[in-house]
Amino acid sequence: MDFIQRKTADRAVELFLNEAAEKEIPLVWDRYEGSLPQCGFCETGLNCRDCLQGPCISHPFKDQNKVGICGKDKDILGVHSFVRLVVQGVMGYLDQLADFAKGVEAGEGSPKRKQEAAKILNDIQGMWGGGDTDVMKKFPKALIEGWKATGVYPDGIGNALFKVSQKLDGGVGNVEETLLWAFKGALMGCAAQMLQGRLKASVFGDTAPTNVEVNLGVLQKEFPNILFYGHFSPLLKRKIAESAKGKKIGFTGVCTDPFVPPYSFAPVTNYGSQEIPLMTGAVDLIVAGDQCVNPSLTELAKTWKVEIISTEGLNRGSLDALAQEILEKAQEAFKARGEVPRNIPDAKESGFMGFSVKDIDVNKILKAMSDEKIKGIAILAGCNNVKLTQDQEIVSLARELLKKDVFCISEGCASVSLAKFSLLNPKQREVSCGKGLSALLASLGKNVPAVIDLGSCENSGVTDFLLSLSNAGKKHLKELPIVACFPEANRTKAVARAAWTVAMGVPTYFCPFLPVTGSQKTMDALGGYCEEKFGARLHVVTQKMEYKEKVDLLMKSLKRI
Amino acid sequence: MKVIKVDPEKCTQCHTCDLWCGVEIGSTAKELNDAIHEKPQPLPRVHVEGNNFPLHCRHCEVAPCIDACPNGTMRRDPQTGLVYVYEPTCIACWMCVMVCPFGIIAPSASFHTAVKCDRCRNMEYPICVDVCPTGALVLEEREEGATWYGYAPKRSF
Repeated sequence: MDFIQRKTADRAVELFLNEAAEKEIPLVWDRYEGSLPQCGFCETGLNCRDCLQGPCISHPFKDQNKVGICGKDKDILGVHSFVRLVVQGVMGYLDQLADFAKGVEAGEGSPKRKQEAAKILNDIQGMWGGGDTDVMKKFPKALIEGWKATGVYPDGIGNALFKVSQKLDGGVGNVEETLLWAFKGALMGCAAQMLQGRLKASVFGDTAPTNVEVNLGVLQKEFPNILFYGHFSPLLKRKIAESAKGKKIGFTGVCTDPFVPPYSFAPVTNYGSQEIPLMTGAVDLIVAGDQCVNPSLTELAKTWKVEIISTEGLNRGSLDALAQEILEKAQEAFKARGEVPRNIPDAKESGFMGFSVKDIDVNKILKAMSDEKIKGIAILAGCNNVKLTQDQEIVSLARELLKKDVFCISEGCASVSLAKFSLLNPKQREVSCGKGLSALLASLGKNVPAVIDLGSCENSGVTDFLLSLSNAGKKHLKELPIVACFPEANRTKAVARAAWTVAMGVPTYFCPFLPVTGSQKTMDALGGYCEEKFGARLHVVTQKMEYKEKVDLLMKSLKRI
Repeated sequence: MKVIKVDPEKCTQCHTCDLWCGVEIGSTAKELNDAIHEKPQPLPRVHVEGNNFPLHCRHCEVAPCIDACPNGTMRRDPQTGLVYVYEPTCIACWMCVMVCPFGIIAPSASFHTAVKCDRCRNMEYPICVDVCPTGALVLEEREEGATWYGYAPKRSF
């Protein structure tokens, strides 16, 4: 099995691929090639490891081996694969929230808006009970009524999440019912994300659209670089940045929230090439959280004599002490690494990131939509997937959509991909957008880029935007021409996010892979059954197709054909 | 003549070979996600059985299936020596199924033909050897007249 495909569309990353090949340093693409052919049963969701009698498979081409030892047939296996991913993704959101809330409760934050923060903390406690948190009340009544009627309203962590996770352990639920449980869990994650975004705003103040530089060129040659990897408490991030005041230290991030007001951490690169910054030799210290961090970093860091500090140790101690330790280590490392050559490519793009729904006039968008100046709204999300050329899919999709007058919003790592290709640069707006869209964006403000970034996956920019759109337009989300696309999806959090987007009534395209394809019933349930219950489908696109075909699919969904 | 050699010590019964055989050889779609839903169900030519052993056609030098076939459907490729089923003329009499000493040939009621491994004779490399993750399957040159693969020493009929 050979792996023939361009590895990345990012020139700055490409510069280092030759060096890696010469020095025989294995990168993510090499490891992918080594793992080919991947297990076909796992790929299609026809396997199970949920108990110790297995592992079981359901063989698609044989008459025996059709059901697992406990009797799970291929449809149950498929839907359980989906549940497993959603549960893990939702746990990710809850972990981020719990970690942050614990810090704020312990008084680490000294919140800017104290009363609001106290209220939100109270709300977070409410997630344990009946789940009737204040954030859930932000959803339109009709949507909530619908969810309650279907039974997917997230009524507390115990009722929603724990019960969902136990669906994997047994029971006699059929495909449709189990799928609805997954959606219930996903909506719990949605609530957690909204609470986290709000808590962050109340502690640090609102994030304003900021001009941020991205790509490897943001690393500093003359002074120490500290890189934040993955997700960890924003309180710690602020502590580190605060204690470095007056000292010359560069703070950048990979797969992390770039904004902790008043500080911002320029994204060095995105998920697919997260190993490449180490290869520049300009990284002095890595502070790594848990999610979205490749374990391969530990080996690679040894080659470049870089220390990695984990923020998620068992006995973390006080944040102050940890921040101090991180700073001291970075300065020492910079001195000690003097002889390591720093090869920072001259690759830098600037873009405006960190918009929130307050910065955008949704009425103008609604008007442009009713006047047919724009064709609709596309949500672009997700990180990178090694099965596709890094960044190529999402960037070409966005370019094509913009040309066709589709209003594009993005979040998380997707924004970094787009920023690298200057789609978040307001100066490039005119070049990439169609006429109608260009006029709308110009009317929204001077610094509005072609694609609007609504913050990282640590806050709920996209959800808030959708809700205000629905409120202002007095329409259900399922009646508006909105479509979501995860062109290079990868993390379990993306699966949870896709699930709740569908539950809100926004049709969602998920590429390149979701392990449910082995079960026709699950695929049908994600399509027709979801359409019936939520008014939107989750389309799993596993076929290799040109981006233009994908755009056609999205455009069709916008018209609700 | 090259045949597939199986190392039972390395086989983990992961069924990767028969899954991909079903996709590449058995299905018309040739894509895993589509092949799974194909009707009639694609038939893999290799069978992984209980004792860590993927069963392939041994392409016996003296092949009873060729002898038993009443109308010349079971044939041997004169160039490569590989035994294959010429499907258009198969009358589904299952004579070959009956005489195969290894139980390799599957009577397929849905396709109305005998189905068996032809060692991917039209491909550069057999798919099962290509996908085996542990290297339990390898393509190996077989000496002429060697008997470990066949059911009987060479004799003339």
